Amino acid sequence: MVVLAIVLGPIIGGLLTGIDRKITARLQGRFGPPIMQPFYDVFKLLGKEKFINNKVQIVYVITYLFFAMLSFVLFVLGQDLIAIIFVLTVGGGAMVMGALSVRSPYSQIGSQREILQMLAYDPLLIITAVAMFMVTGSFKVAEIVNYQIHNNTPLLYVLPLVFIVLIEVLSIKMRKSPFDISAGQHAHQEIVRGVHTEFSGPYLALIEVAHWYELMLALGFVAIFFASNWYIAATLVIVMYLLEIILDNTTARLTWKWMLKSAWGFGIVLCAVNIIALYFI
Amino acid sequence: MLDTLLLILIALPFIAGFICLALKNHSARAVVVVLVSIVLMITSVVLLGQGNFEYTLGGQWNTLITYLDFALLAYIAFQAFYHRKYHSLFAYSAVIFAIASIVMVYYFDFVMAHGIEVEPTFFADQLSIIMVLIISIVGSLICIFGIPYMKDHEHHLHLEITRQPRFFLYLVLFLGAMNGLVLANNIVWLLFFWEITTLCSFMLIGHDKTEIATVNALRAISMNMLGGVGFTAGVMILFSNAHTLSLIDIINSNHAPSLLILPLSLMVFAGLTKAAQVPFQSWLLGAMVAPTPVSALLHSSTMVKAGVYLIVRLAPAYADTWLSTMVAILGGLTFVITSALAVGQSNGKKVLAYSTIANLGLIIACAGINTPLAYAGAIFLIIFHAVSKALLFLCVGTIEHGIGSRDIEDMHGLVDKMPLTAVISVIGMLTMFLPPFGMLIGKWTAMEAASVLPIVLLLMILGSAITIVFWVRWAGILMSTSSKPVKRVIENIAFLTKTPLVVLAALAIILNVIIFQVYNLMISPLAKVYYTKAADTFTQVGNGALVNTVGSFTLWPIFATVIVVILFSIYAVGKAKNSVVTAPYMCGETADNDEDRPRFRAIADGWVDYSHSNYYLNRVFGEEVLTNGSNIISIIAILVMFIVAYMGL
Repeated sequence: MVVLAIVLGPIIGGLLTGIDRKITARLQGRFGPPIMQPFYDVFKLLGKEKFINNKVQIVYVITYLFFAMLSFVLFVLGQDLIAIIFVLTVGGGAMVMGALSVRSPYSQIGSQREILQMLAYDPLLIITAVAMFMVTGSFKVAEIVNYQIHNNTPLLYVLPLVFIVLIEVLSIKMRKSPFDISAGQHAHQEIVRGVHTEFSGPYLALIEVAHWYELMLALGFVAIFFASNWYIAATLVIVMYLLEIILDNTTARLTWKWMLKSAWGFGIVLCAVNIIALYFI
Repeated sequence: MLDTLLLILIALPFIAGFICLALKNHSARAVVVVLVSIVLMITSVVLLGQGNFEYTLGGQWNTLITYLDFALLAYIAFQAFYHRKYHSLFAYSAVIFAIASIVMVYYFDFVMAHGIEVEPTFFADQLSIIMVLIISIVGSLICIFGIPYMKDHEHHLHLEITRQPRFFLYLVLFLGAMNGLVLANNIVWLLFFWEITTLCSFMLIGHDKTEIATVNALRAISMNMLGGVGFTAGVMILFSNAHTLSLIDIINSNHAPSLLILPLSLMVFAGLTKAAQVPFQSWLLGAMVAPTPVSALLHSSTMVKAGVYLIVRLAPAYADTWLSTMVAILGGLTFVITSALAVGQSNGKKVLAYSTIANLGLIIACAGINTPLAYAGAIFLIIFHAVSKALLFLCVGTIEHGIGSRDIEDMHGLVDKMPLTAVISVIGMLTMFLPPFGMLIGKWTAMEAASVLPIVLLLMILGSAITIVFWVRWAGILMSTSSKPVKRVIENIAFLTKTPLVVLAALAIILNVIIFQVYNLMISPLAKVYYTKAADTFTQVGNGALVNTVGSFTLWPIFATVIVVILFSIYAVGKAKNSVVTAPYMCGETADNDEDRPRFRAIADGWVDYSHSNYYLNRVFGEEVLTNGSNIISIIAILVMFIVAYMGL
């Protein structure tokens, strides 16, 4: 199981990224790269000459990769959701510290913005876990899944508002527009590549792989909203992913203030309403 | 055996303090402080081996404590009055509170409860022993750190006559008072030691005798004496309601809760003032004008920990009441408010101060949740916070003496200038908020325990997300480095400075490895004794995991990952020897110039500098924005707490 997660995680994650790039290109009126392009990119980056600003950067990249991997593995093993989110924080924190370690204006600003992104999504992710606990009586992924299979009631039916909030959380976590504030796939001149600016070659490749693990974990969060039927869960994940891509291409980047306000205001209120409603169902 | 231990833990620091006062010679005083520290550390470990105990002193001792209490309160009133010209409101309120305390203590000791014997005088369960270990080990290390620090400090101030004897009197005496406080069973004794810590903090905060130091000392004493009045009133009502003065008696719930709630709420209030919870946070923030060892001591092992100790200690007595819920909400509020305030600060010491108050709030929220799981979370937090926060304060003190600033913005690239201190500081910061470190385990335990009280859980979630912000960016800045090759030389700092730093850093890491043993040996028995009815607790602790009824935290994969990361990093950094070191990307031409930082190439081939700093977001997280509103909210919450207590809910 662990080996499967470690091997299959980035393969599926990479493929999904390839699909993302293809669809994005089509939406922008381009032909787009082949689906396998993310893998070609990573292999090419791995073979490139190593350019670094300082050696500490390397440690941060490795920390990011392994803790992203660990959080996905813990999820697949059905562990405690809050513990998984805390483990995820280690990776995110390492990425920020890595960007802060270089005295470059772009990575410095990118890291400050990345911290704000973490501040925006972290509480909502934990509240999602709490909402799941409120329904199932456990924080453990395995128990949450079992509960839905036993009672044949998917969480989506009882936690629809929390699910809507999760859409925003994923946009922020995956740095998709309108929340591509700290770094973006699209060309944003004023921050260049934000937190990623000062990473190159093999190290950038490792960051890319770590990102695939995180993508898989994020989609895992979506999937367990319909754990009573895995086919529907898979469909849900695909629909959600497409929705994120469309949002990404149809919205313009917003300011961090708007992000914090919408996450802490809109997000928390919706979750609270949903959780309070649970007491009346 | 037992009487010797108690004598060493409580009386020795008092004696040693006065010896310090008498010694004019720096080296002799250093020897005394180091010796006492070592003796205290060893004795606290022996006490751990000794285990739980009860110990009774004869009646004449009670009389002695009564008279000493009068002398102490009178001295506090005198000190406050003497400094009245610096801030008359704080000074006179402190005088009034002290006189009120004297009247109340007089009435209580000679009219209400004359000649009452309380058995035992002292007692220790695992909680007391944990506290003694924290006070005696962490506190002693801070005292040792203080020796070279104060020499340097006075050197900067150009003092003609050294004031160190007085400084070490109160510093060392503080440890004795704290040990007495956590071991006392007779509440009158507890109150006596409580007031001693108030006096010590006043003397230490005002030590530099500057205007701002004196004002802040007066602020501290007036707020703490208010708490003292509340405490004394609580003791009086407790005695008239339940006719007991024994802590054991109260927490083993031998009395109807309705009789206890009002006095307990007053004692909790005293705890809130001492733990500097919102709206009383200003005294602890003001306290940072004192020399760094004082801040370290107040924030980690003494003073504020006395406040949370009292609230946690009494928690089983008010379990399942509305009072308890209000305590949880108050703690949660402080946790969110002060975490947010910390984001807006660039002053390193202020960030640490707000983070202390926030974590104490989290501990108090655990006490208010009042289940065995929450109780365990509170004790985890007490232990790990003491070690990490003491370490961080000592680090900031060392940095301040090294670079002449305590502003975070001035700490960019510290790893190049002071590699050892920078690395130790980063260890301290990471242990505050990341897994697998104890603070995070405590936070996780608190959150899962709070699942019974969603509003408090929400406060915890928000606060916990905010804390990440200021720790990550501070740690990142300390490790930022120039892209030019630098030759790092371990900085030259005094042996007595380095030793406490290294020992505390080692403790901060080692304690995490033995967290399961700490739980099984010290925390689990407490929960079993004090929470006989409640079921939710850890069902299994060991084999690398903590399991409770709603979730589990498996720690060994994290430890394993950390080891993998370290091994890979050594390998990768080793292999990166031949890789090309480049300057940061500057939008076009790679600005490879002689300056130690990159610049932009601009019009007419000129170089243009840029500046960068953290986002402090002062329009959202500034003190001006948040303080007033949050004080009002907290005052309302405290009033509600008193109302529910008065109604006996």
